[in-house]
Amino acid sequence: MSNVKMEIDGRTVEAAEGTTVLQAAKSIGIKIPTMCDDDRLEPYGGCRMCMVEIETSAGRKRLVASCVYPVEEGLRVQTTTEKIRRIRRMIIELLWPSWQPYAKEYGVTSSRFTTGLTDCSLCGLCLRYCSEVKKSNKIYFKGRGIERRPELIEGAELSCRACGECFSLCGSGWIASRC
Amino acid sequence: MSRLETPADLEKLREEIIAGRNAKEKWVAVCAGTGCRAYGAETLADAFEEEIEKRGLSDRIGVRRTGCHGFCERGPLVVIQPSDACFLGAQPKNVPAIIDKAVTGEGATDKLLYLDEDSGKRLGNLDEIPFYKYQKRVLLANNVRIDAANILDYIAVGGYSALAKALSGMTPEAVLEEVKKANLRGRGGGGFPAGIKWETTRKAQGEPKYVIVNADEGDPGAYMDRSLLEGNPHSVLEGLILGAYAIGASEGFIYVRQEYPLARTHAAKALEQAREYGLLGKNLLGSGFSFDVKIHRGAGAFVSGESSALMSAIEGRVGEPRPKYIRTSEKGLWGKPSCLNNVETWAYVPQIIDKGADWFRSMGTEKSKGTKIFSLVGKVKNTGLVEVPMGIPLRDIIFKIGGGIPNGKKFKAVQTGGPSGGVIPESLLDLPVAFDELSQVGSMMGSGGMIVMDENTCMVDTARYYINFLAHESCGKCVPCREGLRQMLAILERITKGWGEEQDLDTLDELAEFMEAASLCALGQSAPFPVASTLKYFRDEYLEHIREKRCSAGVCTALIAYQIDQERCKACGACLRACPVGAVNKSEDKVFTIVQAKCIKCGACYTACPDKCRAVIKVPAYTIQNQPAAAATLPAGKQ
Amino acid sequence: MDASKRRAGERAETQPLDVLIIDDEENFLEACSQTLQTGGYRVATAKNGTEGLKLAGESHPNVVLLDLKMPGMSGLDLLGQLTKTDPSAVPVVVTGHGTVDSAVESMKLGAFDFLTKPFEPEKLLETVRRGLSLSALKKEAQAAGAAEEQRHDKYDLLLQGLDVLGEAYSLGLEKRQLLDELAYLESEARYHAESLGQIKKKERAILDIRNELREADAIMKKYDFQKNALIQVLLDIQEKFRWLPRHILSWISGRLNIPLREIYVIANFYEAFSLEPRGRHTIQVCTGTACHVRGASETLTRVSAVLGIEAGQTDSRQQFTLETVHCIGCCALAPVVQIDSQYYRDPSRSKLEKVIKSLEKEEAQACLA
Repeated sequence: MSNVKMEIDGRTVEAAEGTTVLQAAKSIGIKIPTMCDDDRLEPYGGCRMCMVEIETSAGRKRLVASCVYPVEEGLRVQTTTEKIRRIRRMIIELLWPSWQPYAKEYGVTSSRFTTGLTDCSLCGLCLRYCSEVKKSNKIYFKGRGIERRPELIEGAELSCRACGECFSLCGSGWIASRC
Repeated sequence: MSRLETPADLEKLREEIIAGRNAKEKWVAVCAGTGCRAYGAETLADAFEEEIEKRGLSDRIGVRRTGCHGFCERGPLVVIQPSDACFLGAQPKNVPAIIDKAVTGEGATDKLLYLDEDSGKRLGNLDEIPFYKYQKRVLLANNVRIDAANILDYIAVGGYSALAKALSGMTPEAVLEEVKKANLRGRGGGGFPAGIKWETTRKAQGEPKYVIVNADEGDPGAYMDRSLLEGNPHSVLEGLILGAYAIGASEGFIYVRQEYPLARTHAAKALEQAREYGLLGKNLLGSGFSFDVKIHRGAGAFVSGESSALMSAIEGRVGEPRPKYIRTSEKGLWGKPSCLNNVETWAYVPQIIDKGADWFRSMGTEKSKGTKIFSLVGKVKNTGLVEVPMGIPLRDIIFKIGGGIPNGKKFKAVQTGGPSGGVIPESLLDLPVAFDELSQVGSMMGSGGMIVMDENTCMVDTARYYINFLAHESCGKCVPCREGLRQMLAILERITKGWGEEQDLDTLDELAEFMEAASLCALGQSAPFPVASTLKYFRDEYLEHIREKRCSAGVCTALIAYQIDQERCKACGACLRACPVGAVNKSEDKVFTIVQAKCIKCGACYTACPDKCRAVIKVPAYTIQNQPAAAATLPAGKQ
Repeated sequence: MDASKRRAGERAETQPLDVLIIDDEENFLEACSQTLQTGGYRVATAKNGTEGLKLAGESHPNVVLLDLKMPGMSGLDLLGQLTKTDPSAVPVVVTGHGTVDSAVESMKLGAFDFLTKPFEPEKLLETVRRGLSLSALKKEAQAAGAAEEQRHDKYDLLLQGLDVLGEAYSLGLEKRQLLDELAYLESEARYHAESLGQIKKKERAILDIRNELREADAIMKKYDFQKNALIQVLLDIQEKFRWLPRHILSWISGRLNIPLREIYVIANFYEAFSLEPRGRHTIQVCTGTACHVRGASETLTRVSAVLGIEAGQTDSRQQFTLETVHCIGCCALAPVVQIDSQYYRDPSRSKLEKVIKSLEKEEAQACLA
């Protein structure tokens, strides 16, 4: 597979075709905030924390999620612009108080919203780990839209407690408390 | 009946069918679309058949159950062909008179004819009725002429001649070129040029390639695709086959909503009949081109209309949009190139191939060619399906075709584009209806829902309605869409209950901008539009709810109460009988009152109160909340 | 062996005879009784049909092993009389001259199983064990005051149960899995019986479940057991049963080799599916935009008041389910209510009551019929 040359925050980086912008940034030590990303799992593109501003070689500018956007020749990426900072602040505020690793960095100390997300930020790490890595398929998202909730399939509590590998992935401890 | 082996076979069959049809002098076309069925069109058609049989006219007059004629407001609809005499709201008891009229020209059918309010004249012909007169019916025209369950009817009106033309004399590239030249833009929402999409799929790596009909008409308030698929399924199928030929696809899918059983039945029947005649399957019309189609039922999810979600559903997986920056036209169904267009787009293809791109380009505006079907519904006199050339002013659709607002009310806004669209106020009514023009004012073409709103429609409630819809229809995968909608809904509910604050409006603006920029798929990116556009054009109404705790449209139930105007009440008891919870009381002086504590605000009394009295009225809730329990007996406030 | 002895011992105190053996060959009688006694069963023997019948009448054995070829009363005659004298006894036919004809004939007369001499002791023990469990079922039925008809139900049940067994074997299930499967079926049956509150007997429920699984199979077969037809299969199941019962989902999961989790995701995602039983009639209030601006929320309040249930609920008799739907595509008639397959334009209270009443009447008549 051939390599492409591109630019992230002004630094040139070479990356293998088919990899993502997020991976390319990581390779040169640029840290892009993420919530739903995990090296062991398929990119998910759900949390949108990793959004960056790009400009293609054709001059087209847009905002994309770096965890799913493939690297391409001549791409120019900016990982923290004011626009991006606003988006990240809003995400932290909307998930308040279930997920706060970047709260300090982005200056969020409270939220205007009553989110009801006290125990789970719906990142999907536990259930994706369970089905993609463990092939165990015990957790799923029930319902859609604002009704979406994680749920164990019936009778899975015991075996989940015995496995417990996903507990550490969960920032809020929902999954451990549920088993 | 035998398989058609060559285009010549098809022509021969067509001549035979036409001869058979012409043997009868007249045809009674009874609309059997979903709307007219609700009015009892089936029984009506039976009555026609019986009456004709009884009079021994079976050789001269035929009865045909057709697809939706469009004028659903006035169903059941009956059209006599070939004269196109049109009868509205016909009942079985009118059948003898209509037959008389058809045979002898005399018959007591005046009351079934359209009454032109301006001139006071009765208009007996389809083309005279304003609802039809100002339309340009290219796709819908055949709905009146054919029985959807009969392929022969479709062939009789020229069906499959475009396919024969393409397969016998055009290369796939030529078909593709024609569609590109026509600049047919996708009728499903975004208006992406179909020809360019086809070309992408044609050139994409990977075999097999798929073509898909999106009949998952999820926009609330729209039923164009339903009526086309129910009324003329073969036109959609023929378009799909032509597309497959141009793209080089060997397999197709029709993705139909579970809620449309009749559309599904008719589509399935169309496939079956097309297969029998060799118009689907191997070696179509001896051309060497093979193609077949399957039907996939959707299980009910608005987000399934999104291309990648729809394809996931066909694969048997949950319909969540994929976070990939690669288009489905290149990598779609099972990772193969897949071309998805909606029902209306496909239905246009046979006519473009048949009559040529120039014919198509002769209609519409510079950038939006052809016609578009709208479902004209809501607070408008003539509700129904209308097909108009692109570029026609909104005002013409609503007032000339739609006949304006009923009950002497005032027009407030028209909503287009479904949950991804926005509202358009009166000041913009002269806007030409076309893809880019609608987008510029913060709405969009969408699939063609056009919901008219009058002074009794609350714009805050309308925004709340759409956000509530989207909050439950979003897949919930990405944070901006799911959480943004959750908070928008919470804020709008507060406002409609009278608990809103002015800074809420700034938060709504901020959320709208954030969701548009950060959401994963088009559903989330366009989800804030209903809020953004109502805020833009009707900010005053929001402020009225917040500052005065008033809903002047009388819609937000928390802000209104029902009362009975004691002076106007004639004590007829209609409200008492209509009330499902027994909240209407008879007082000592024999007039009626409403017990506010029991009232569930269903509006049954309001509807039941005779027009001549209008004693049941809506008042702002705060006018009675400050009163003791006996408030209902106090003099009523005026609306 | 110890365990089974202990169990047999306990049973001996409360129950009479386990096995009665009727044969004219003494060697055979002795060998069998020894095997069975070692196996922990209470055994009696008889040398001919007449003696056997008498003993059976007195001691009500659970299982009767009888030879087909005996001097005096023939095995078949004995079998015929035995089923009359002691209907709860489970007859097992033994013969050294086994032919297909006599086997078929004896099965017709009610023999439970067929042993051909010579046979291994394990085979005998296994047959008796199965016979005893059937006998327990039979006795239970009689104790419950089961009428003649119900007795036939038991036979049907047993045959059906064997059917399921056979099917499970043909699926290539290991024995251990098979037992799990049966235990699972039984627990499902109990769940089914309790939750519906209609079916008292779990045997009936097992039958029901078996039929349901058959129907699910037929549906899957329509789609050639293709994985990607999952949503179509679930739609058909929903249409057929008006909900997606848990045991059927788990059956589908096994058949199509799709993790149960994925099926749950789909069942919870789409509008069309219900994980609780729905009413026999569905009342849908359209809340599409056209209906909304023309007062659908007021219509909904009215319908809900007439039915006495909220949107999304089913009444306790499972007659009606009230739900809202985002546009049924009948916008010109807004606001629209769909009752089963009929559309109604903003029905008034009295119209609603009339329709509901006529549906209830239909129900009642269907019940009587």
